Amino acid sequence: MGKVIACYKWVPDEADIKINSDHTIDLSKAKWKISDYDKNAIEAAVQAAQVLEGKAVSLTFGGANAKSSLKDALSRGPDEACWINSDLASEADGFVTATVLAAAVRKMEDVSLVICAEGASDTYARQITPRLGAELDWPVITSVSNISINGNTIRAERQLDDCIQTVEAELPAVISVLPEVNDAPLPSLKAVIAASKKPVTELGDKDLGITDLTSKTRVQSQKAYVMIRKNIIFTEGDALDQVKELVGNLKKEGIL
Amino acid sequence: MAGIYIYSDKGPLAAELVGFAKTTGKAVNIVTFDQNSAASAAEYGADKVYLLAGDSLLVENNARAAAKFLMNEEAELFLVGSTPRGRDIAARIAGYLQCAMVSDVSSIVINDGQVSTERMIYGGAVIQSEMIDGMAVLTIPPGKFEAASGTAEIATVNINADSRVSLITTAPIVKKGVDISAADKIVCIGLGMEKKQDMQIAQDLAQVLGAEISCTRGIAEERQWLPQYIGISGETVKPSLYLSMGVSGQVQHVVGMREAQIIVGIDINDKAPIFDAADYGIVGDMFEIVPLLIQEIKNI
Amino acid sequence: MSAEEKFDVIIIGAGPAGSACAYILARAGKNVLMVERGSSPGSKNVTGGRLYTYALEMVEPGLYKQAPLQRRVVREQIMMLGENSAVNIDYVNYDFGEDVPQSYTVLRAPFDEWFANEAEKQGAFVASGILVDGLIEENGKIVGIKAGEDEMYADVVVAADGVNSFIAQKAGLRPDIPAHTLGIGVKEIIELPDEIIAARFNLQGDQGAAKVAIGCSDGIAGGAFIYTNKGSISLGLVLNPEQVGQKGRSIQEILQDFKMHPAILPLLEGGKTVEYGAHLVPEQGYQGVPSRLYRDGLLVVGDAAGFVINTGTIIRGIDLAIISGAAAANAILNSIEGTHAGPLYMEELQKLALLPTMKMFAGWHSIISIPRMYKEYPELANDVMRFMFTVDGQVPEKMSKAMMNIAKRHVAVKQMLGDGWKLFKSV
Ligand SMILES: Cc1cc2nc3c(=O)[nH]c(=O)nc-3n(C[C@H](O)[C@H](O)[C@H](O)COP(=O)(O)OP(=O)(O)OC[C@H]3O[C@@H](n4cnc5c(N)ncnc54)[C@H](O)[C@@H]3O)c2cc1C
Ligand SMILES: Cc1cc2nc3c(=O)[nH]c(=O)nc-3n(C[C@H](O)[C@H](O)[C@H](O)COP(=O)(O)OP(=O)(O)OC[C@H]3O[C@@H](n4cnc5c(N)ncnc54)[C@H](O)[C@@H]3O)c2cc1C
Ligand SMILES: Nc1ncnc2c1ncn2[C@@H]1O[C@H](COP(=O)(O)O)[C@@H](O)[C@H]1O
Repeated sequence: MGKVIACYKWVPDEADIKINSDHTIDLSKAKWKISDYDKNAIEAAVQAAQVLEGKAVSLTFGGANAKSSLKDALSRGPDEACWINSDLASEADGFVTATVLAAAVRKMEDVSLVICAEGASDTYARQITPRLGAELDWPVITSVSNISINGNTIRAERQLDDCIQTVEAELPAVISVLPEVNDAPLPSLKAVIAASKKPVTELGDKDLGITDLTSKTRVQSQKAYVMIRKNIIFTEGDALDQVKELVGNLKKEGIL
Repeated sequence: MAGIYIYSDKGPLAAELVGFAKTTGKAVNIVTFDQNSAASAAEYGADKVYLLAGDSLLVENNARAAAKFLMNEEAELFLVGSTPRGRDIAARIAGYLQCAMVSDVSSIVINDGQVSTERMIYGGAVIQSEMIDGMAVLTIPPGKFEAASGTAEIATVNINADSRVSLITTAPIVKKGVDISAADKIVCIGLGMEKKQDMQIAQDLAQVLGAEISCTRGIAEERQWLPQYIGISGETVKPSLYLSMGVSGQVQHVVGMREAQIIVGIDINDKAPIFDAADYGIVGDMFEIVPLLIQEIKNI
Repeated sequence: MSAEEKFDVIIIGAGPAGSACAYILARAGKNVLMVERGSSPGSKNVTGGRLYTYALEMVEPGLYKQAPLQRRVVREQIMMLGENSAVNIDYVNYDFGEDVPQSYTVLRAPFDEWFANEAEKQGAFVASGILVDGLIEENGKIVGIKAGEDEMYADVVVAADGVNSFIAQKAGLRPDIPAHTLGIGVKEIIELPDEIIAARFNLQGDQGAAKVAIGCSDGIAGGAFIYTNKGSISLGLVLNPEQVGQKGRSIQEILQDFKMHPAILPLLEGGKTVEYGAHLVPEQGYQGVPSRLYRDGLLVVGDAAGFVINTGTIIRGIDLAIISGAAAANAILNSIEGTHAGPLYMEELQKLALLPTMKMFAGWHSIISIPRMYKEYPELANDVMRFMFTVDGQVPEKMSKAMMNIAKRHVAVKQMLGDGWKLFKSV
């Protein structure tokens, strides 16, 4: 009957990244979103909470702008939201993030299951889930494509590069789900309206009683990968003319 | 013993990591968890191979004990091959050691005990460089370094594996078809192709081009039409020709093919980002364009 | 139905009309739901435009000061393009906007998001990412909306869903909107450094320019505009889609030609197109306003009600949307639980001068329908200028005779007189 926590990250949309002339990046115009695959994690948590007859709680560690994410997250089904509001989030490495999330999970009490996504859209480090599991010293199951819960036992299918494993563990546990685990539906009107009435807990990093929150890695620079391609789009004439142009060019390139 | 420690569930990748580690002049040790891997690892040119002998069928269950081992040995750097198991065990060890970890690094420089790394973020749109003092866990994908070879002694250390996660069954995935990471030409299909039988036109095109067929993540993982896909979570390819149909060209996919010599995109949407990534493009319906293309190539 | 499922007012669409309405109602303590199909307000709106700020003053005095506005328009330019020449009328008035600035350039995505947010701060409930796909009707009265599986009830529903209002059509207030009553607009945002914009458009500080151009549409009814923003310019065309079709040209091609015109290209050079969008505009002015703008339980505001004035030199839609949203809100507040809000709404539209203004501009539609406006007259103006400024050492033609010849080359005298009369009559 414990809680099921869904961890999600509030990230800038990578499609909105602008590149400055010195190849540094400008995120000031970017829209922010719940990291793509975290939507599947939230859906998985909502489903698991139903089976466990417990509450689903969304958990995010983010800066002030993550406030906008709460309604969005709650409209996807969780009963409650918890937001660790901290300026540290924007520069947090895996150590800081996992430490903060673990402290938040401990504080929530009576947690049966923590669900993260395989990887976040910005870092895609695929690091937080096992790290969080280690911080809590709970069993960890990563790369999960199918979940079934029976009593206090979770059985999961793991999709690895060379095999599909079925594994089992007793709860509480920490798992990471692949996007293939479910179809995360779009929220409905009633869900969106209901979201605004659900309880939100906002905590600062100071409320978690952690002494050391210094990142172990220091970011030195972020440079855009600049793609230089010919970008020739054939638009003259009809489809056949365009195909002929393409074939002509591929011949010239020595490809055909 | 201080020095660099290495683990990979893929033997050849462990040998590549040894190849890199040896350039630093530090002691190089491989960590393994079973007898067979230890025996192969003994040929990868390390100074020493440690067999951490527990009794779990899941290598990840050795993480807690391995962390303790690395701490006792005062390891300076732990290099792990980037595979699903490798990433999992690496991150758990970093968690238990509360140390730095950088995933999927594309470059490493070690200088005066400081480690500088580069990796991609935002799906491949941005390269981030980081600096670490002290112990670091890094995961490294294959193909970055020359594999080393040479014989090492094996030392066995008994450990207690974590038994809380138990393996019930394993079903091997048999990857049919060729390895696309070595293909010279690739025809790539995306979710713009709606029916499995439509793959025939991709196959026909691949045949006249002498190309292999690959796809985006959705085609492989959701629809399971093909075993391998291209992108940040899939394969990285460097063909002479990459030609896509019905692939929108999001950065997470493009990052896997942007080293191709020539990139061609065919998509019905003139604003699809694939055209920013392409050398040549045709805006149109693949079911109109591709048959014409097959015919034109045949006419050569 | 539970209290959970009933609001005082439901507003469909979080454009300027919807947000203005929601803002005023929520401020007065009404329980308001505003539903927007885009993932956030503004995300579905075509970028760029200009806003006459008086409208925001009617919602809340001083509110415009917090709005994410771009540049204060002090410079109005009208360009008549010939093939390789241009006649430019440049009107500058540095007093524009001393008190409440007259108009500002805006980028719609941030503006709409801000405005909806302000409504939310007043207590309105904004649900984004939800498409309203039907109305609930009981005994001839609109009592709620449908969105997918969900139904939601309200005393009054406000259709602020923009041009081509699906809701007004559903409610039987608008027939299918015929294509010739709509213009098709395309817009681009082109990024340029502020110093370059200031230099090219002769501006300082937060000053802005608004430029309209005719004679750039291959004879198709319509015109182009260029607005200066901070760090970018908005550029676009509004054209008659039927005529575009008849010419067999794509609107993108015409936009491309416009950008390549020797009088336009230097303004854009070195810029980077960062956004592109297409959208419809009501084109008929007063004639295009449906005969009924309400039903029991439903009010129609903004573009959905056809409230756009397009004189060829200015497009006003955002301000009218805001005013009509305010009118609807006032009407609802003056009614008892929404009963008879409709007639009160019509009164408010009179009071806030919206309908009278639309009427005043009613004649413009016939002017902008004169095909010669888009080709012959701009060319004529260019030829006149060429004559006046050509000095080649020859004895020039007599002025009056030359002018007549030029005019005749382009238009029959009778037509010109007729067009002149139309113009005179309508302004
Ligand atoms: C953390 C993370 C990691 C990811 N890793 C990967 C990865 O490794 N590899 C990967 O591929 N993706 C990856 N993705 C997903 C990626 O972001 C995109 O969603 C995905 O690549 C889109 O696949 P697609 O191009 O096949 O489909 P879509 O984006 O749906 O594009 C389909 C295209 O087909 C076109 N089309 C439709 N009909 C036709 C027709 N008749 N003729 C021509 N064109 C047509 C459409 O215009 C459209 O452009 C990842 C995402 C995340 C968040
Ligand atoms: C190219 C162009 C240039 C223009 N330039 C100017 C200018 O410079 N100055 C000016 O004043 N006006 C200009 N206009 C006109 C102006 O944009 C409109 O008049 C104005 O936006 C109308 O506001 P609105 O709130 O009525 O509708 P909109 O701004 O269209 O907002 C309607 C909202 O409703 C939402 N919606 C629609 N259907 C549904 C549904 N079923 N469910 C939920 N949500 C829905 C839409 O997503 C949208 O956000 C221009 C128009 C165009 C096309
Ligand atoms: N700041 C955060 N707040 C909440 N969850 C997070 C945060 N960062 C990462 N996660 C979770 O950890 C997963 C993996 O992240 P990563 O290891 O960075 O790829 C994400 O998909 C989230 O589920």
